[in-house]
Formats: sequence, C-alpha cells, structure tokens
Amino acid sequence: MTALLRRYRFIVPYLLLTPGLIWLAIFYVYPSVQMFISSFWSGSLERGFTFSLSNVHNYTDALSRYQDQIVRSIFFAAAATVATFLISFPLAYTIAFRAGQYKNLLLFLVIAPFFTSFLLRVISWRTILGDDGLLLGPLKSAGLVGDDVRILATPVAVIAGIAYNFLPFMTLPIYVSLEKIDKRLLEAGQDLYATPWSAFRKITLPLALPGIFAGTLLTFIPAMGDYVNAELLGQTPGTKMIGNVVQSRFLVNNDYPTAAALSFILMAGILVAVAVYARLLGTEELVSSAG
Amino acid sequence: MTTAALESAVRSPGTPVQRIRRWLGHNALFVYTFAAIVYLMLPIVVMILFSFNRPAGKSNFAWREFSLNAWLNPFAPLGLSDAVIASLRIAFVSTIVATILGTLIGLGLTRYVFRGRAATNLIIFLPMATPEIVLGASLLTLFVSIGMARNELTILIAHIMFNISYVVVTIRARLAGFDRRLEEAAMDLGATEMVTFWKVTFPLIFPGILAAAMLAFSLSIDDFVITNFTAGSTVTLPMYIYGATRIGVPVQVNVIGTIIFGTAVGAVVLSTLLQRRDRAA
Amino acid sequence: MSEQHPTLVTRAMTRRRMLQGTALAGVAAFLAACGTAAQSATPSAAPSEAASTAPSEAPSPSPAASATAKPSPAAELNFANWPLYIDQDSSNPPKSPTLDGFTKKYGTKVNYRESISANEDFFGTIRPALQAGQDTGWDLVVLTDWMAAKIIGLGWVETLDTANTPKFVANESDNLRNQPWDPDNNKRAPWQSGMTGLGFDAKVVGNQTATAAIWQPDPRWKGKVWLLNEMRDTIALTLLKLGKDPATATNADCDAAIAEIKKAVDGGIVRSFLGNDYKEQLIKGDLVLGFAWSGDIIQAQLERASLKFNIPSEGGMLWTDNMLIPKGAAHKYTAELMIDYVYDPEIAAQIAAYVQFVSPVKGCKEAIAKNADKSVAALAKNPLMFPDAATLAKTHIFKALSADEDKYFNDQFSTLQGN
Repeated sequence: MTALLRRYRFIVPYLLLTPGLIWLAIFYVYPSVQMFISSFWSGSLERGFTFSLSNVHNYTDALSRYQDQIVRSIFFAAAATVATFLISFPLAYTIAFRAGQYKNLLLFLVIAPFFTSFLLRVISWRTILGDDGLLLGPLKSAGLVGDDVRILATPVAVIAGIAYNFLPFMTLPIYVSLEKIDKRLLEAGQDLYATPWSAFRKITLPLALPGIFAGTLLTFIPAMGDYVNAELLGQTPGTKMIGNVVQSRFLVNNDYPTAAALSFILMAGILVAVAVYARLLGTEELVSSAG
Repeated sequence: MTTAALESAVRSPGTPVQRIRRWLGHNALFVYTFAAIVYLMLPIVVMILFSFNRPAGKSNFAWREFSLNAWLNPFAPLGLSDAVIASLRIAFVSTIVATILGTLIGLGLTRYVFRGRAATNLIIFLPMATPEIVLGASLLTLFVSIGMARNELTILIAHIMFNISYVVVTIRARLAGFDRRLEEAAMDLGATEMVTFWKVTFPLIFPGILAAAMLAFSLSIDDFVITNFTAGSTVTLPMYIYGATRIGVPVQVNVIGTIIFGTAVGAVVLSTLLQRRDRAA
Repeated sequence: MSEQHPTLVTRAMTRRRMLQGTALAGVAAFLAACGTAAQSATPSAAPSEAASTAPSEAPSPSPAASATAKPSPAAELNFANWPLYIDQDSSNPPKSPTLDGFTKKYGTKVNYRESISANEDFFGTIRPALQAGQDTGWDLVVLTDWMAAKIIGLGWVETLDTANTPKFVANESDNLRNQPWDPDNNKRAPWQSGMTGLGFDAKVVGNQTATAAIWQPDPRWKGKVWLLNEMRDTIALTLLKLGKDPATATNADCDAAIAEIKKAVDGGIVRSFLGNDYKEQLIKGDLVLGFAWSGDIIQAQLERASLKFNIPSEGGMLWTDNMLIPKGAAHKYTAELMIDYVYDPEIAAQIAAYVQFVSPVKGCKEAIAKNADKSVAALAKNPLMFPDAATLAKTHIFKALSADEDKYFNDQFSTLQGN
C-alpha cells in the first residue's frame, strides 16, 4: 500500500480531493450554473422566462437600481468585520496563550451562542437593545441619553447583530493560527525585542496573519450577503442590504433574473475584494489560505 | 491594552515599569476577555431566563412570573420534539461527513502541489460567497429536475455542501505553516507514511479538525434559509421557531434551547475535568 | 432553459366585486368547545358518506372527474400548515383532538406538518415541483388569500369536488364566499380569517380610531409606528385613508398610496415594516401604533392588557388563510374529506378556541358558547373573534390584481421598504 502510494504520489492529492469536490460539483457547481443561466432570462413567472444573451442588461439595471443597498452592504460588512476583529483578537489571544485549563471551555463559549436558534438570539437582542431595554433603559433613567434615542431599527443594531453572528468565524481561525505558534519563539522574541509590544508586533502578529486573513474573509463574505440581521434588527428602509434585495426579488417579486444577476454581482464583488485584499497583504500563500 | 498599561505605569512610579506593564497587560486582557464572553452570553442568559417564565398568552416576550411549567413538559407543543430530533440528527451526520470530506481537501490543498489547485480553491471559496437564498433555491431546482423528493436526505446533502467549505478553510488555517520537518523526522526514524500520519500529523491538526467540526455543527443546527428550501415535509427546529412567531414562540422552545446549550457546556466541562485528572494522574 | 407557463396567461381572473353589505348579515356565528383536556375528539355529527359519485383516490394523481368508483379515504394525508394553527392539548406526547378525530373517523394517518412560516418562502419551496407538473408532496396546504389567488391564477390547484364537501358548502361564512379570485367557490376553503386594522397601546397613545393618526408626528408615537410588510394590507389601509377603494385600485392609486406612506417614513414617524414580529415589539413597548391583524392583538392582550384593536373609521380589511389542494396531490379525495371535517361547527369551535382568529364556519360561535369551560365559552362574546355586522361592514377586500398589476404593486412596495 505504502509502496504503491509512493510510486503514484501524484495521485494522492486527487484522491484526497475527489470525494469532497464531487459533492461540490454536483450540489453546488451544477445548480449554480443553472442559476447563472437564469440571470440572462427575461419574462415573468406568469408568462414564462426566455433566455437571451442580450439580457446582460439585467446586470447593469440591477447595479444602478440597487447601488444604495450595495454601498450599504459593503459599509455594514466592513464595519462589522472591524468590530469582530477588535473583539476576537484579544479573545483568541487569551484562549491560545493564557487560558490554561479553561481553554476548551472558553473555546466552546465562543461557539455556544450558535447552538441556540438565531431567532431566539434575535428576540433576546431585541429585549436587550429595546428602547427601554436592559441597555438603554438604565441609561435613559440616569439621563445619560435622550428619551428618543434608540438602537433598534438603526444601522448600529444591524452592524452589532452581524458582528455578533460572525464572531466565531473570526475568533476560531485566529485562535487556530495563534495556538500553533511555537511558544519558545515568543520567549526568544521577548528576550530579543525587550518589550512585549514589539515582540507581539514582530512575532505574534505576523504568525497570526493567516488566521486573521481567513477570519476576515469568513466574516466579511457572509456579512456582505447577510439579510437576516437587517431583516430582524434593522427592519427599516434605511438599513436594507443587498441580501434583502435578493431575498425580496426572489421570493416576493418572483423576479428570478434580477435576483440571480444580483447574486452573481455580489459573488464577483466578493472575489474582487478578496483578490485586492490578498494583494495588499502580500503573499500567495495567504490567498490560498482563504480557500 | 498598552495604553492602559502605560497610564498605570505613570501613576505608580518607582516600580519596575516592565513588570507592571506586563501584569496590567495580562489583567486588561482578562477583563477584556470577560467582557467579550459576557457579550456572547448575554442573549443566552435572557433565553434561559425566559424558559422559566409563565406567559399569560402563547407568546413569551414579557416577563410575568417564575414557573417550571415548560421544564416539566418540554415537548408539549405539537411537532416540537420531531423538529428537535430532526435538527440534531441532521447536524450530527452533516458535521461528520463534511468534516471528513473537508479535512481531506484541506490536507490535499496544503500538502501537495498539483494541477488544478487554483480551480479547487475557487470551488471551495465560492459557496461561502454565494447568498444562502441562491444556494437554497438552486439546490431545490436541482432536486426537482432530477425528481428527488425533498426530505431529511436533501437537507443533509445541502448542509454537507455548505459545511465543506467552512471546514476546509478552518483546517487550512491550522495547516498553513505546518512544520513538515516533524513528519520527515518521524519517517527518518523509520515510521511508515501511515504511522507518521496517525502519530504525528493527525494529533497536530486535531484541534483544527475539532474547531471545524464545532463550526459545522453550529452552522447546521441553526440554518434556516437553505433548509427551508430543501426540507420538503421535514420540519427542523429553526423552521419550527420561525413559523411559530406567527402566533407566539412557546416557552418550551427556550427550554429546548437551554437544554441543548447546557448539554454542550456539560460535555465540554466534563472533558476538561477528565483531561485534568489524566494529567494529574 | 426557458420556462413556459401556458396555463397562466389564459387564466384571467374575474373581477367580480364582492357585495359587502349584504354578505355581512350572514356572518353570524361561531364556536366552541374544547378547552378541557378530555375533549370529545369525534364530531357530533358525522359527515355524510354520500359522496358516491366522487372520483376515486390515490393511484392516479389527477383523477378524471368521470371516475365513478366509490372512493375510500387514503392511508395518509400530508397536510402543511402554520405552526400553532390548530388545536392541541398539552398531553405527552402532544395531540390535536381535531386531527385525532379525523384519524379515528376515517382511519387516515394525518402527516400534519407545521412547515409554513411565510407565504413567499413556502411558495418558493413548492413552485419548482408545480412548475414541473410534479406532486409537491402535499395534499393540503394553508396559504393567505393573495398567495392562494396567485396559485389559483397560475392554475396550480385542484378543483374541489364539492359533492365531497357538503359541510363546506353549507357552513362557509357568507361574506367569504365567491371571492373574485375563486368565483365558483371550489378552488379553496378558508381555514381561518381575520381583520386588518389599527393596533395600538391605548395607555400610551389613547384610543385611536383613524388611520390618519399614523401621518401625525405626535410625540407619543413618532418613531414608534410600524406598518405591515404585507403589501396588500398596508397599501389597502393607506388607500382607504386616501378615500380610495382597494377593490378597484389602479397603478395610479398604488403610486398615490406609496407616496403617502413615504411621507410618514421620511417624516420619521414610521419606524419599521414588519410581519408578525410587530406583536413582540408591541408587547415590549418599542412600538405603540400601527397596522395589525385582529388575532394577534387578542393574543398580545394577554401579555399587555392596554393593547387595543380598532377597525379604522376610514375602513379596514378582511383576510383569509385558505386550504388549497396543490395540483397533482396524491390524496385529493382525503384532502376534501379533511376540508369537510373542519367545517363541522363543533370541530371549527375546537380549532377557533385555540387559535382565536375569526372562524370561517357558521355555527362556530354557538358551539363555542356551549362550552363547559367558562373561559372558553366567553370567547363567543369576543368582538375580535366574532365581529358584528357593523364591524364587518367597515371591512374591505382587496381586488384580484392582474399579474402585471401584482408585479407593479409589489415592485413599488419593495422599493418603498428598501428592497
């Protein structure tokens, strides 16, 4: 067996990849191609849809009609990603280096919220963020904020909701990359660089970059396409994102061509963003670590 | 945390600056971590609290009085137990399958140079960049076009599909920069490739696999959009709850949420304790 | 890759307008029993087995009407409904007296699934099968009137053999019959109905009786007003406020309503467009005034007693959730038996006492009033469950929009909501 493997070494990667890729080819690639074709449809549910390449204007129409939501999605997703990073990094750092016997427990607590239904969490958040809820209620009675201040139905609520939702996607990869740093490297670094800060900056941070990169993408990408938070915490015209438009075009208006075109615009936008981000961070290895 | 450390260093002159900084640095980190955990747990605390409510009507939004009612009869609402069981079953199976498939891909991508890497990367990446509604709708179109009835199996297929990418990405973060010399050393010492994998490679990547599996499980048990499209007559817990909002989410849903949460915490605490005992022994 | 819907174009919907006033008188009554754990599961009056000319069941998906073999109930019935939308007791395992009664009577196992959480979402899940001419897997589904109208318009439902549903024919509330989108009254049977009007917290905003209040930037409710995300409800109440009739709405009327709503949104008065979750925020006090569904307010009153529901002076709406048999359903005859079964006033009372919407079944009120449990019997006096003729006279029904109009209205309304 081993000898055989060694002889046909070049086959090994394909053996590893094949089962998963076949799955994705049948259940992702093929249906997506069908969906891509539908972005060149014209017509309606009632009259039927017809395919024509000239319907490429579905894309330009969608871009110009929904530019507000597109810009808003980028902004919300970026803000949420930054917030998530600011919360996650120290958290992951603690878990990786300082948690000792509580490491597993802390790691688990990061994911724990997601073992409960998102709807229950949203209802909880509405209770907490309500106009007279746990957060604003005391502030209002203390006179620290005005009576008409609210968080729900504002961009803040949506960004906070997205940040909460995708926190483990940031924390876990950062933790994973921090955890495998050789502790002796850090000790040596502290000896050499004298201050913990510069040791951190010159050793820990660079070694954590693959995790940060993966975490950023894992947060930013689904955040761009998210509609649940805007739907349940935003609920107002000024907070709707591109995902809400896809949802509504698809389900409410049965406008499948526009929904499909918008989806592919979203995916293309994400690909471009990833490429630019990878270029900025520098290495090819990073690009591939994003998958 | 450095700013905080600096300030206190200034306020307490005469002591070795570096030690204070480090000490405060550590504590600031713990305070921060504690705050982050509170932030994460807050909605869960509210959820648990409301599992002990006795609401006047069918919805459970305003606190009225303490009661164990829902706890004594957690599966009272029609269809709730079926939904919970279906969700757990789907989450377990899809996590196992997706973790295996994803880990294999992760290994293949990080450890070998081969033709088609770029294309593979793209195929792994795209499902995460696709809006859920598009994934759900296009899968449903596929199932209908091949005449496949929608049931738990189709939900499983969908969950495995979207979980694979997340598993791959988590595993790769673990494998990136993996020190291959450890494996080479093992082989130099006479270990076969298989033995090296199980004795050296696997233990090293295991935390990554575990993290990936946890992520996959949580994604699966909480998915609504894609499940809704591929479910047929199966009802999962998120579908039940989403639909129940029309009349009112029953208190029992909070109880179930608390039980699932508690079971998972219990398991982790137990394993931590066992590990500690092993180490002490 | 093109999809064709030949059936669609030909199925123009009739626009017969409902004569509101006359129909109302017959609304009458309802309901009933239930409440106690030991309810009698079997209806007192068994549906007649007279349906000898009905089509035979099962093997062929769409049996020809000419079949004369005596049908027999199928072994199972796949019934999709909204969660908590049927009576249930809290025994372990939970049971629904209504469903158990059906099983006892016909020997049919009811695969009752609470699979429907939103009209659009559910339609999205059955559409591909319907479009491909396949069985959706469901024999009976419950959808709101406008969605029912859309699916009927697409030609994707089975026509009821009313010989199998004598109780539905006899007991359906008069004001719900012959909807413009089901002129022959044989494509759907109302499951529950209800009214759309003003919901508010009287303790905060006082007693509001006019839709116009929503356009006043009163500090008591500014920024705490919601509108429904159901296009027909919100547009219709706004049209009524503008003095226009939703039964004859045109695209221009739609534009006028959208412009009017936009004023309230831009003025910072309206905070959100919501589905059923307005109820939660109303109970919590984040919202105090808006468009509401009657049954929701009955439920919410239990948690916040100061909540009130009024049919606005400008007029309110009447809606129904309807049972439909999707095209190609495997157990059409058994589905018809179920429709007939729930139109028994005793059974209707059992359901209504639990769900507390407006029952579409005549005799339901009387049946509920006879209930041994006083708190259940008292429901017969609840004006939100059993509205009087004067209340119903103020309600309207949305016209059956043509496919183009439907698209236009929905487009405008989506844009208004920011999606």
